[in-house]
Amino acid sequence: MDKSCVSNPTGVVVAGVGGQGVITLSQLILGAAWKSGYFAIQSEVHGMSQRGGSVNAQIIFDKVEVSSPTILEGTASLIIGMEPLEALRYFNLLRKDASVICSTSPVRNMPIYPNLDMLIAELKKIDGTFLVDTDKISEELESKGAGNMVLLGAASKKLPFTEVIWHQTIKDRFAGKEQSIIDKNIEAFNHGKKLYSM
Amino acid sequence: MKLHEQKQLLVLADEAISYGAIDAGVKGVFGYPGTPSTEAFEGAERIIHALNDGRVAHWAANEKAAYEMALGCSYAGGRALVTMKHVGLNVAMDPLVNSALTGVKGGLVVFVADDPSMHSSQNEQDSRCLADFANLVTLEPSSHQETYEFTMKAFELSEKLRLPVFLRLVTRLAHSRGIINRAESEGIVNLGKPSKLESHNWVLVPGYARERYNYLRQILPVLERAVENYNSITFGRNRIGVVLSGMGRAYFDQLCRQNEIVRSFTRLDVKAYPLNHEFIERMCAYCDVVYIFEEDYPYIEDMFIARAGSTKIHGRRDKTIPISGELTPRKLRKTLNIECPESEHKVEMELPQRPPRLCLGCGHIDSYKAIRETFIKMGIEDFRVFGDIGCYTLGYEKPHECLHTCVAMGASVGMTFGAALAGMSPSVGVIGDSTFFHSGIQSLLSMATSKVNANLVIMDNGTTAMTGQQRTIFSQDIVKAIEGLGMPKDQIHTLIPLPKYHEENVKKLTEIFKAERPDVIIFKRECVQASKSRRIVKN
Repeated sequence: MDKSCVSNPTGVVVAGVGGQGVITLSQLILGAAWKSGYFAIQSEVHGMSQRGGSVNAQIIFDKVEVSSPTILEGTASLIIGMEPLEALRYFNLLRKDASVICSTSPVRNMPIYPNLDMLIAELKKIDGTFLVDTDKISEELESKGAGNMVLLGAASKKLPFTEVIWHQTIKDRFAGKEQSIIDKNIEAFNHGKKLYSM
Repeated sequence: MKLHEQKQLLVLADEAISYGAIDAGVKGVFGYPGTPSTEAFEGAERIIHALNDGRVAHWAANEKAAYEMALGCSYAGGRALVTMKHVGLNVAMDPLVNSALTGVKGGLVVFVADDPSMHSSQNEQDSRCLADFANLVTLEPSSHQETYEFTMKAFELSEKLRLPVFLRLVTRLAHSRGIINRAESEGIVNLGKPSKLESHNWVLVPGYARERYNYLRQILPVLERAVENYNSITFGRNRIGVVLSGMGRAYFDQLCRQNEIVRSFTRLDVKAYPLNHEFIERMCAYCDVVYIFEEDYPYIEDMFIARAGSTKIHGRRDKTIPISGELTPRKLRKTLNIECPESEHKVEMELPQRPPRLCLGCGHIDSYKAIRETFIKMGIEDFRVFGDIGCYTLGYEKPHECLHTCVAMGASVGMTFGAALAGMSPSVGVIGDSTFFHSGIQSLLSMATSKVNANLVIMDNGTTAMTGQQRTIFSQDIVKAIEGLGMPKDQIHTLIPLPKYHEENVKKLTEIFKAERPDVIIFKRECVQASKSRRIVKN
């Protein structure tokens, strides 16, 4: 370890419900960081949470070595929420100028789900929160997993990786699947990127 | 290039163990699934399948069986890896403790994943204590690369010491992804079976066992010396000391990159046990105060407290760090009085928990519905059901509320029978098929030919669902297996837990629960997750 070096790692949180694809999405971010030459670690919580419970993954990357797989409260710079209630759970991890990219499509697999408008109002308290109706977009793009890739595309605007790296990471992740699946994922990713810029 | 041929990989630390074992020339990999250890076996199994060069990966019925298979593989001269979670180690303790006396031939590495904060476990026990109890060496990495390298070294160390060697990870490392750079692979190692001269070491009758035990108790200094180079003291200009192991070390290193003060601390890095007392004495001689960052029990801390002298020791014992729960970057900062950033984003509304639940369309839901209704129809409002470990443990929660114990793998069977012997009638227990064959079947041996009203419900979904649909070790007809235990045919009932059979199932269960005799009810329906993604069985 270089003793003179003081680092400032970037923390990204991905939050959602078991089965939504939290781990896949976080692996894509990890892969893009790695391909871009960063040191990167990602942690995830498995086990009981696989059965439709809360799931979160955290990615930390830096130009110098990273050894902690978990993010210190108040230091994450980005959260990707695949579900509005789940995103709010990890707001304590966010730093002041953090970005929020979040789906507005709720997963209501619980006895009492909070009022959706109230959840969205909480999400909007952070400046520049970017919300996507992922259910609607998945329908429009005729692809079940498109919502996640749209979120990732939007989030890519907040991450220091190039489009070439992103596309390659997506191709590698879905290697072995049909070309049409890879194309659909890249299309959704690009769509998210465009939406964010609009 | 195929994944298993790549030199640099982005993997779970669990999978770093898989690659480490393969590159060390492992012959056999054995285990029983258990979060967060499962992926170490699965990773190795995938590579073994791809390599197709005569290695084996075998899920065993339980951890004891897995351990014994690994020991047999070692006896035959091959390197063996056995994987399990911390509570699984309890199941394997009998052969494990005694294999410290027999010794090993081919290197035997015991990978145990501990689960501080109990993300998916029943307790927070510390495997270092059990390795210590068995007089064995433990290596404890804190990064992916270390995990890979320590796995390879563990095999060498095992062969050098002729003892099993532990590899301990905790959830945060086991289930995090990072980079490993692989070394050159060794070919499959084969050291041959023990020679005739040493073969009596393996026969632990009192005469030989005493000799082996005395030897084992005398080689503690040898073990300490063998792992001495893993541990090190770095004296800083600051007389504040930190002791770092596992994630404590990972978090502290991260802190060092962001905080100048802590870089001047004197640190003891612990990567292997048993820890030589000289390290402790040197730390205490130099430092006025020592903070101990380790996962689970205050294991190193107690060694320090015993030798502290005037040095103040801070850790879990004096409540500087809470006695239970995993370490976090924040806990480290708080302990060392370093400023913690606070998030300014406070959520004002209450966020209800989202507990895990049984999948939509899961057969367990229908099974519980039938059991609950049967009790109610029998007029037993305050009914109790002995439960076990698996997805169906979720039956304790609403709307099922049909499971009242979850103690240990297989415990439901013994408890159902024990309660029936004590007069509970009907006594009812539920267990999954994989858990039944793990360690429930033994109690059924007693129950099968008894006269009491004990009713065991086996929820047979044909898979180990909770940990990710590993195949169940027993693929034959469960009914025949139970008949073989001496259970009369008419006391074994197979029911299908589907809504359309609900009334019929309740009627049958009522008859069964009323009968003053032991019964086994098999609720047979494929796991919905498994049927969605039917796996290609590779072996």
